[in-house]
Amino acid sequence: MNRKITKEDTWRTDELKKHMRGYEEDIKRGEKMRRSEDERRHRSGASVDRRQRDHEREETRDKEKLKEREQKERTKHRELERYRDMDRRREDPREKANGRNEREREQRKDREKDKGVDINSRDKRHDRVEKETRDKEKEREKYKEVMSEREKERERDKRRAERERERRSERDMAGDVTRARLQDGEIETERDRRERNRSRDHMKESVHREGKERNRERERRERHGDHELSGYKEGREQREHRMEKEVGEKRRKEREHRGASEMRNSERERRHRDHGGSEGRIHGERDRDRERAREEPEKRHREESEQMKRGTTSSHKDKDNRKDRKDQMVVKSQSTWRSSQGDFNDPDIPVENEDTEKPPSGDYEEVDYEEDFEKMDYEEDFEDADEDEHASGEEKQDDKEDDLSPQRREEIRAIQRAMDEENERAGSSQSRPRTEESLTPRTDTETQPPRGRQHRGVIDFVSAKRREVSKKVSSRQKKRSAELLRMIDLDFSITFSVLDLPPVNEYDMYIKSFGTTNTKQAYVQCNEENTDREVQTEETDTSDKWTQHPAETSISCGGPDQSQDAVVDVTLRTNFDSRRLVSFLRSATQVMSVLLEEDRAERHALTRFKSQSDSLSFSDGCLQLNTRLPFLHGRQVSHLHFSDAQRQTLLSVHAPSTKPSAVRLDSQSIICVWNIWEPSRPQKTLVYESEVCCCCFSPGKATLVFAGTSVGSVVLWDLREPSSSHYSLKIGESDWILRYPTFSTDAVLSVSGHLSTVRAVEPVTVPVSEGLRPELPLLVNQEESLGLSFLLASLDEKGVLNLWVVVELPKSSDAGSQTDLGLRPGGKVKLLHSSTLQTCDSRSSPHDVTHPGPLQALLLKFLPSDSSHYFIGTNMGVVNHGTRHGLKAPPKFYSPQVAGFRPVQISSLEFCSNGQPHFLVGCGDGSVRLHSIQSEQPLLEWSGSTGGEAVVSVQWALTRPAVFCVLDAASCLHLWNLVEDQQRPVLTERIDVDSVTTMAVFGDPATQNMYSGIALAKHSGRIEIHYFRKRFTVPTLADSEKLDSLMRDAL
Amino acid sequence: MEGTETGANSYLIRPNYQHKFKAGVVKECIREILRDNLSGVQYDPEQSHLLSTQLADTIKEKLKEVGFERYKLVVQVVLGEQRGEGVKMAARCYWDADTDNYAQDIFMNESLFCVAAAFGSYYY
Repeated sequence: MNRKITKEDTWRTDELKKHMRGYEEDIKRGEKMRRSEDERRHRSGASVDRRQRDHEREETRDKEKLKEREQKERTKHRELERYRDMDRRREDPREKANGRNEREREQRKDREKDKGVDINSRDKRHDRVEKETRDKEKEREKYKEVMSEREKERERDKRRAERERERRSERDMAGDVTRARLQDGEIETERDRRERNRSRDHMKESVHREGKERNRERERRERHGDHELSGYKEGREQREHRMEKEVGEKRRKEREHRGASEMRNSERERRHRDHGGSEGRIHGERDRDRERAREEPEKRHREESEQMKRGTTSSHKDKDNRKDRKDQMVVKSQSTWRSSQGDFNDPDIPVENEDTEKPPSGDYEEVDYEEDFEKMDYEEDFEDADEDEHASGEEKQDDKEDDLSPQRREEIRAIQRAMDEENERAGSSQSRPRTEESLTPRTDTETQPPRGRQHRGVIDFVSAKRREVSKKVSSRQKKRSAELLRMIDLDFSITFSVLDLPPVNEYDMYIKSFGTTNTKQAYVQCNEENTDREVQTEETDTSDKWTQHPAETSISCGGPDQSQDAVVDVTLRTNFDSRRLVSFLRSATQVMSVLLEEDRAERHALTRFKSQSDSLSFSDGCLQLNTRLPFLHGRQVSHLHFSDAQRQTLLSVHAPSTKPSAVRLDSQSIICVWNIWEPSRPQKTLVYESEVCCCCFSPGKATLVFAGTSVGSVVLWDLREPSSSHYSLKIGESDWILRYPTFSTDAVLSVSGHLSTVRAVEPVTVPVSEGLRPELPLLVNQEESLGLSFLLASLDEKGVLNLWVVVELPKSSDAGSQTDLGLRPGGKVKLLHSSTLQTCDSRSSPHDVTHPGPLQALLLKFLPSDSSHYFIGTNMGVVNHGTRHGLKAPPKFYSPQVAGFRPVQISSLEFCSNGQPHFLVGCGDGSVRLHSIQSEQPLLEWSGSTGGEAVVSVQWALTRPAVFCVLDAASCLHLWNLVEDQQRPVLTERIDVDSVTTMAVFGDPATQNMYSGIALAKHSGRIEIHYFRKRFTVPTLADSEKLDSLMRDAL
Repeated sequence: MEGTETGANSYLIRPNYQHKFKAGVVKECIREILRDNLSGVQYDPEQSHLLSTQLADTIKEKLKEVGFERYKLVVQVVLGEQRGEGVKMAARCYWDADTDNYAQDIFMNESLFCVAAAFGSYYY
């Protein structure tokens, strides 16, 4: 067990298994001990369960033994006389015992045979009873037993005990490992080997020594006879195994001494038999038997030792002798033990050899025994022991047979009874401590009652069964654990720290016990940084505010609540599109204002102009533009110009006033943009510093106004500019917006600009589809050219024709442009100089010789169908014809029918409105010519139609191609209708009251209810608009036919 | 021979999951019991051994109710007075770490500390 404990230091799985196995064996051994004890107690019946199992085997074995012993018997009988002598002398009980033993065994066999298998179930008590009856039989048969015989019996017991003790001690010595070796097949542990080597060395010495000693001893024993056994008390007091050895040795020596060579033989035989048959036979049951057998000797030897004690106490004999012998025996037994140990541990040496080699030494028997033990043939020995036990009964019978005197027998019987009783008493008393010692706690309570044999017999059965069961259980558990251990892995867990409580240091302890004394909690500070109490719980109100400067609309600041409203405002604000509104308002106000104007005009016209309209024969109605404006007061209208696209839009150029007036615009020209439906006031008022000589609209919508000035600059106004960006003049009660030019070529473009008075500005329109539908494509083109990428031509007196590209900037800049100084800040439209043409090369003219003065260019027109052709009216009565790209056009001049150059200014040059290539030329000498562009000569020429008065203006009627108006300087207006009369005007109207300074014809041929009229600018500065009567407005097929016929006639 | 009877035995070498010794559950049980039994209790050297065994039994019964099948439950309760001394407890087990487990909880108040450890070892 100690070793097991030490093993735990190095646990490993297989070791653990081994350990567990060992442990189980221990348990089993415990069981065996119990069992063996029972067996011992009832030797005659032996252990029931064992018998049950081993019964057959025992029987066969017994038979064999019987045979052997019968042989021995025979030899014994031969020497019977000698035996008897010895018997009488009580020197050798052993042989007798053997003989008796065998005899008794035979008898018992017979008995057993009679009883049959009943033995198996035979109660132990019955056994005992049987034995007792047997004893009584012995007594009855009056076989005298002497004390010595009893002692011999006891001695036999002792001998058996010795053997068992030897086995036990050996096992103790060899320990668990030896057991394991026995099981696992003779694996020698180092320890064993060491021991064996040591003992072997000792052995050789001791054998020799022993031999001598033993001889001596033998002699002594002969002397002292059986009394030597009494010395065992001391032996027990010494080391147990030593004593065992002594006893064994003694027994053996006795055998030798009695010349038991037969015995030796028989023993040897037995051993051989063990070697051969029995071992193999037993082998299957060996494990179980061995274990059981192992238990038995343990029990027995313990008991034996006690018995010996008893024996010694009961037989007080020869104490002196004992003492003497004891000394010797101690020495001897030590050596013999060693030697026997050595022999036992030397399995290599064959037993036979040993026997032959060392017969005289006397050790060989020991060797034999040891060999037997090693072969685990314990069972055999036990059987022998049992046999011996039985034999003891027989022995008595044998003794009875001996011829003793009846008195003596009686005496012996009495002694025997006393002995029996004593034995009985001793046995019961002895059994008590033993049960306490050896029984496991489980059986403890049952075996506790010190009743002795009878009671124990009952318990034995129960406990045997229990043992059986528990053995099964344990083996099953063992198997189970073995199998499970294969499947699972046991390991050491990490060391769990269950609790780690650090010691409290002094300060903490102090604080814990006294820290809070003399303190008082006043208040709690929840916001450590703010020490003001008020701050703690008051919540700070926060809200978002915004401000803006300058204030947008009326909101300059707002909070979250207001901002919601502001957001609504903003959404409302953003929802209305100012551009759309402006455009809507623009158109709507125009319509509304027109309607209002008409309403008012109707009321006034009825009263004021009706009479006057009657005065003009061609007029169907008349209305007056309100030129009685403060800044227009006293100004003459130098030009009137209708837009080609927006026919109702009229430009009136008011020349600078000569008379000083209230307003400071005297030196400046004023151009008024009128809508003839809105006669009450001009739409726009354009102002320029110098005299404007000519003006025109942009070809598309009338958004741009171009003007050529007397100082040689070309200026333009962008009518789309907001009025807020222009100079506002408050005159009287109304504000007037005076617009200064958006762009001026005044100083900037001096190099490429005009150096003399600009006589004409004319947009160069690029007709997309010529001739077919002249108006519509033009309109489309004009719409498209709202991007304002078109050319503008300007012609000065010197005949320099400048072409400008009108460019609209994508973005206006209020800061103005540094590169274009002509551009007004905030202006978006400007002119880029494109090219310059010298149209009037007077030197090249053949008439230069006759004409002293320079050729002046006065008028500029482009051919409506092909804008590359330009026609320039000069002061020499001819019209120059050329192209912008320098190509030569067939008629270079359009001259009057009378050949030769005359210094006659061409005052008017007008193309036919319907796109036909005819143009009218009005001259300063009063002649009017109708030209076709193909021929130099006019188609028609009327020289005296105006009565010599200079023609101021010639205008085609826009709705009837064959009708045109001629205004002469005498303020006579002549209306010509070429269909009706080719020679003279159909109508001549002389306006005397207020002379007409200039006129402009308007009309819209495209609309369904075509209207046509004429605007007349009076000397007083008034502008009258007259609608032609229907005879002048409604076109007829004859008109164009007439012109065509004229063309054909001319060609 | 028994072996053949039991055949190729199907040992339950692992507990079912629901019966597995779950340290968290056990710890909660222990904590509850300790709290119920020890809150407000002053250390009494006379009563502590009784109290500790009683606690151990209570915990064991409670754990049995929770139902760790085929588990051998070992409950150890240590009750001690708090006087500022350092205490260190450790446990070491030789077991099958797959199936066996332990749980422990500590209860402390001003006068005493109590450590209860429950070890569950699986019966194969």
